Amino acid sequence: MSELTIEQPDFARERAMLEKTWGKNRGLLGWLSETGHKPIGLRYIVTAFVFFGLGGLEAALMRLQLSRPDNHLLNPDLYNQIFTVHGTTMMFLFAVPMMLGMGIYFVPLMVGTRNVPFPKLNAYGYFVYVVGGIFLYVMLFLGAAPDAGWFSYVPLSGPTFDPGKRADTWAQMITFTEFSGLIVAVEIVVCVFKQRAPGMSLNRIPLFVWSMVMVSFMVIFAMPAVMLDSTYLIFDRTFSMHFYNRAEGGDPIFFQHIFWFFGHPEVYIIFIPGLGFMSSIITAFTQRKIFGYTAIVCTLVTTAFMGFSVWVHHMFATGIPQLGSSFFTAASLMITVPTGVQIFCWIATIWTGRLRIATPMLFAFGFFITFIIGGLTGVQLGSVPIDWQVHDTFFVVAHLHYVLIGGAVFPLFGAFHFWFPKWTGRMYSEALGKLSFWLLLIGFNVTFFPMHILGLHGMPRRIYTYGAETGWGPLNALASMGAVLITLSILTMLINFAAHRRRGALAGPNPWNADTLEWSVSSPPPAYNFLHLPTVAGPNAVWDAAPDQPYVTGMRFDKRELLVTKTLDAEPDHKHEIPGHSLAPFLLTLTSTLGLIGSIFYGWWFTVGMIISAVVLVYWFWPNREEVREHLARDRGIVVAEEAR
Amino acid sequence: MTQRVLDVSALEEETVDSRSLLWWGNLGMMAIEGTIFAMLIATYLYLRMVNLDWPPATVPFPDLVWPSINLGILLLTFIPAIILDRAAVHDNVPLCRLALAALVVAGAAFFIIQFYVLANLGYKWSDHAYGSIVWTSIGYHMLHVLAAAGETALLFIYALVRPIVKKQLLDFRCSAVYWYFVIAMWLPFYFIVFIEPWLTRKGY
Repeated sequence: MSELTIEQPDFARERAMLEKTWGKNRGLLGWLSETGHKPIGLRYIVTAFVFFGLGGLEAALMRLQLSRPDNHLLNPDLYNQIFTVHGTTMMFLFAVPMMLGMGIYFVPLMVGTRNVPFPKLNAYGYFVYVVGGIFLYVMLFLGAAPDAGWFSYVPLSGPTFDPGKRADTWAQMITFTEFSGLIVAVEIVVCVFKQRAPGMSLNRIPLFVWSMVMVSFMVIFAMPAVMLDSTYLIFDRTFSMHFYNRAEGGDPIFFQHIFWFFGHPEVYIIFIPGLGFMSSIITAFTQRKIFGYTAIVCTLVTTAFMGFSVWVHHMFATGIPQLGSSFFTAASLMITVPTGVQIFCWIATIWTGRLRIATPMLFAFGFFITFIIGGLTGVQLGSVPIDWQVHDTFFVVAHLHYVLIGGAVFPLFGAFHFWFPKWTGRMYSEALGKLSFWLLLIGFNVTFFPMHILGLHGMPRRIYTYGAETGWGPLNALASMGAVLITLSILTMLINFAAHRRRGALAGPNPWNADTLEWSVSSPPPAYNFLHLPTVAGPNAVWDAAPDQPYVTGMRFDKRELLVTKTLDAEPDHKHEIPGHSLAPFLLTLTSTLGLIGSIFYGWWFTVGMIISAVVLVYWFWPNREEVREHLARDRGIVVAEEAR
Repeated sequence: MTQRVLDVSALEEETVDSRSLLWWGNLGMMAIEGTIFAMLIATYLYLRMVNLDWPPATVPFPDLVWPSINLGILLLTFIPAIILDRAAVHDNVPLCRLALAALVVAGAAFFIIQFYVLANLGYKWSDHAYGSIVWTSIGYHMLHVLAAAGETALLFIYALVRPIVKKQLLDFRCSAVYWYFVIAMWLPFYFIVFIEPWLTRKGY
């Protein structure tokens, strides 16, 4: 490896070769065997958005139902299913996969590599996620959707009080989506630590990438907990085990402990990527490097760590010993410190930069307003006496929507507008973008702010209706009207995107003059990402590049080769070839689905699914003759004539 | 026109050590599964905390003979795993084959004996929460042994019928590391299931 000066190569020829090597296959089989990180990332994003729409429809149904007292639009059982599926969808099928999909799409581009480290596994992750989601919705249409809330507490979801397959559906859907989340997490961690462009040392990693790394670590240590929790539930229900059965030495509270050991980090898994979007957007729209880069990285790490030490604040009402409560109150309040540091860093950046207000930046401001309100009610809920008063009321509903919509959805929609030109090569309409922002900001606050007051007036969560004498009618009607505005906002955004996807003004590679590497390639990016892998000279890769910034040569154009670099300083280390398109991930999805869904009806299906999955795995791993021949020549210097096949 | 470039054509293609992507992927998988093992232990300790009798009075004191023999087998499995690891580093393919075969045999032996141990515990998963956590822990670990042995068997068959290159040498090493993990993960469970009731039986 050395730095040289060479004659400019024939770009057109190189581009054609890369196109041939990395291009996609056509037809349904081509679609099913795709392993590129951008198509898979986009699939995650589109699928998660579809689930967001479905979850939104359920929310609309609930708002309709609650819009006036003594309403009987939905019966109690259907209402239970709707709110459970709404929460489950938004948490497991929208928020997490959406954020991880954004990571799968952008992390390899931002660190300057061609694909994720394990492309086939990545494809498998997407397919199992889709199957898990479809499974939940099939059960909803069969009238057998889970109905014990998105966290499915025992004993309500246990064998005694929830006969049938409803809770099993919830529990197995968890298994599917967590598989997918764990796979993406490992992909991102390995991609970021081993595949960065030469020169991108740890202190030059874009903040969005840092946020995805922290999220991935949180996924790795939090999601196994909920998988185990839901597996215990299935065991209790299907095999008569007693993990949660007090009569035989189990403990229902234990369900809550493991659930929230996952559940609180889950909240951060959802909003830390939002913090990453914020940093990307603010850097681009103030045209200056972020204020306090190191401080922001440290706060991301701190938030991720502290996220694991606050779970009991969800359980204050279960009779936790006072010392425990105090500890978890203190830990919960402490979280505001790193979050505050980040917000002040962004304010400093905006203050000292050349601020340009466009739709993504408006959404960033929307984040500030809503998320800070959500944070303030969070501090209140972290204190035991207040929590006891408002536990299980609409106050909590208001708080969690302020945090999750403010912390994740506002930045996400900002990110959609920010990267829309990168995805499509076209600009959206600024006027429609601003309209959708204002509709969302107003609609969101009209919907959710009254819920604080309703909660303080004692309106409990998860009731399908209420009497007129409670006096909750007017505020509920107001909240339902706000939901109409939110719907209009999302429709405006979709129309904006649909209308300008092919017809908007041409965007060019970098319409915002932004700083990260995805803006250095054409819009949309080619299948191979970079014609030549870039080298990086500073924390803002595009801005810091010298006019003649060297690029990497010596990579093969006829192989799917990645450059593996060293973890700390990203010096080139070795080259690694990754597999191309394959049907194996899709086949493995079919066989594992058979095992997992079958097992909630009859345990032995798990074994059957495992055995045929093992067969598929052999197909997955077995190298073809072509590959064996090439490796023999490369590693052993043995040349096998092609006829010898 | 000229251009400054960073030429990487002389770099090695694929490595057989901790620098490779697969090595990191393997670590990621062990981190995930290790978390599940840790949660199983946490479950055991939590349930122990909330019960007055632990194990429940109906549970006999565990028989130590076969579990200990099986522990010995599993610990001995370290030897072929280390041999596989080192042989792969030194590109000694015949020794790799031998070690792979030994690992499959050891894994199968452990699995079968463990089945016998499970059947002779004297209580079932559906008897009480203690039974549930013990059966789940042992079963979860057995699944790991099965997976490791299955993977090793596949590599063994491959090593018999196809030439071995760097890619498979890396597979061998990752497989060996995975065996280290599977072996080490049994130790806390051996202790809590078979030793702990003899030492500090709660409620006696």
